[in-house]
Amino acid sequence: MTRFIRPRLRKPLRRAVAGLGIAGAWAIGGGQSWWLAIVIAIVVVCSTAGWYVWAGQDTDEGALLGSRADERQQQVGQRARALAGTVAMVAAYAGLLVTLAVNRADAWPFAIMLFATGLGYLFGLSSYGSGEPAADEDADAGDQARAAAGG
Amino acid sequence: MRNHVREQRLLREMSQADLAAALSVSRQTVISIESGRYLPSLPLAFRIARFFDLTVDKMFDPDEEEAGA
Repeated sequence: MTRFIRPRLRKPLRRAVAGLGIAGAWAIGGGQSWWLAIVIAIVVVCSTAGWYVWAGQDTDEGALLGSRADERQQQVGQRARALAGTVAMVAAYAGLLVTLAVNRADAWPFAIMLFATGLGYLFGLSSYGSGEPAADEDADAGDQARAAAGG
Repeated sequence: MRNHVREQRLLREMSQADLAAALSVSRQTVISIESGRYLPSLPLAFRIARFFDLTVDKMFDPDEEEAGA
């Protein structure tokens, strides 16, 4: 579906949807501060315009935001995401420790975050790893070469 | 690892932006490769070498240390 959206607009638009989701959730939550949802939505729309402008710039960040990153820039993005994941895992662990010590009833969101990040890591290992070790083809090739040389 | 991208580019009087466009990478990546901060992938190394009509081992020398490294 994203193929129909201009590359430069894809990531800013994705972030806008995520931000407007927060605004919507805040509005659904209601209460006296429901109007803050409007403020959040305005901030999201303005920042989306900022992301779009940034995505057009001739920088590594601009290329990543504009979905036109080359191999080095993709590597930079992967490293940044890996760092963000590590920070999220450490933050979830710290939150879990604090809530377990202070109020155990509030600990479950941190436990879920820690579990999800850990599960994501394991899933990444199984998805991107080589999986089962391949048969030792070199040994076979060596045998054949020796047989050919001997024959 | 030392490479000869900068020398070859200057021999052909090309700008970093021209080379970047020819290799379908960003100007920042050409700068990183020339300064030795980034080692290109094998496909990109071949693209660079072919662009300059050289072999990969003539373009990238693993035995030579990057100047200033």
